[in-house]
Amino acid sequence: MASDTLLARITDYANRPDPYPLYAELREAGPAVRQADGSYLIGTYHEIVALLHDPRMSADPRSRTTPAPYNVTRQPPFLRLDDPEHHRLRNSAMRPFGPPHSPGRVDSMRGEIVQLTKELAEVFQEGRQIDVVDDFAYPLPVTVICRLLGIPHKDEQLFQGWTDILVAAADIGPESDTADREQAADQARQEMGQYLVQLGEQRRGRPTGDMLSDLVNEPDAAVRLSTEDLAINTILLFIAGHETTVNLVTNGVLTLLRQPDQLHRLREDPGLLPRAVEELLRYEPPVHMRERVPLVDIDVAGTTIPGGTSVILALASGSRDPLRFSEPDRFDPTRPDNQHVGFGSGIHLCFGAPVARIEAEAALGALIPHLDTARLLQDPPPYRQNAMLRGPRHLPIQL
Amino acid sequence: MQTVVDLTRCQGYAQCVFLAPEVFELHGEEGLLYATAVPEDQVERVRQAAAACPVQAILLGEGVSAGAR
Repeated sequence: MASDTLLARITDYANRPDPYPLYAELREAGPAVRQADGSYLIGTYHEIVALLHDPRMSADPRSRTTPAPYNVTRQPPFLRLDDPEHHRLRNSAMRPFGPPHSPGRVDSMRGEIVQLTKELAEVFQEGRQIDVVDDFAYPLPVTVICRLLGIPHKDEQLFQGWTDILVAAADIGPESDTADREQAADQARQEMGQYLVQLGEQRRGRPTGDMLSDLVNEPDAAVRLSTEDLAINTILLFIAGHETTVNLVTNGVLTLLRQPDQLHRLREDPGLLPRAVEELLRYEPPVHMRERVPLVDIDVAGTTIPGGTSVILALASGSRDPLRFSEPDRFDPTRPDNQHVGFGSGIHLCFGAPVARIEAEAALGALIPHLDTARLLQDPPPYRQNAMLRGPRHLPIQL
Repeated sequence: MQTVVDLTRCQGYAQCVFLAPEVFELHGEEGLLYATAVPEDQVERVRQAAAACPVQAILLGEGVSAGAR
């Protein structure tokens, strides 16, 4: 088939269970493959990494000069801003979260994360049928991000509703450009932002030991977030802070149940778990694509991409590029050279990566001992609509 | 266990500082300080930090105890 239909085929829901043959076709046709709508797809590792580090590549959707299928007028969160604004906001958000100001925060959550995975793993009893997503992979990261940010447990349902709407609107591809979806997203964004700002107000002067408290009580006025920035960026932290981890944990269980020899290996040698999580981020990553916009005409391996054009970096394809990884389609937890792009690379490297790693390792560590006799009830499982943030909607298994 | 960070590779992503803050420390925004001899109770955290390094700059010498220099 024509290479200019690759993005349409990749985003076609029928190909959600296995987009990897399409990524192979993309790399063959590449490195830069023009699509029928004028956008460009990049699927080779070295070009993806180079572009993620290229200051001429904007993460800001407002840099597009070609019409975008989504609303590009509103202020984006720092995920989709360029420096210096990106740096200012990411740094402010980082102060209560990680080094150099809060190096111990994530590490101090290990105990409760391990405890939580143990409690959730209690339903994994022989003879039972379980949905790995609803019974385990979803509740874990949602509970963790709520505790980290300081969102009351009772309001999780409210947040779930807003998140579903916002994630649906953040998809790409021909199926996603509906005005209704945009309108619903604007309303969800406004309600969720208002809720978070009000919660922050309650914590002003009365901190409760969470990130939201620290953000509103930041003593240095130069780095304290404005009300608008607080709303926009805590929405980002909440959604990005759990949505992708659901997929990472579910993809992990799916991968191990498809490959019982690897499951057995990890059960015998739990010391391999940290590297197994990295291999999972390479082999079945939760984030498949990210968009960038060149600010000027750029040359990618002999192809000129005009400034202002949408460029889709297929991270999941890059991490399976045979020019970078030997036997890329093999899941190998002992892979010696694994510089995957599962969390991206460069200045936008996943903000929450350390939390995701701890959650995934604790989750798989807690589940592996229960999976010996488990089998998939549906393979492939039903997938969620989203092609960029790809993962199963349900993963029914029989224990 | 002994650890060595290849500082010509290190790009200051600080993933190791998140995952093993008692062994790795940021000096300012990007400068990395670390303990070469890993205490026994930090070995698992350091193993996770080494696996997580986006530029694979952390080298581990397994089987070397914290007392050895």
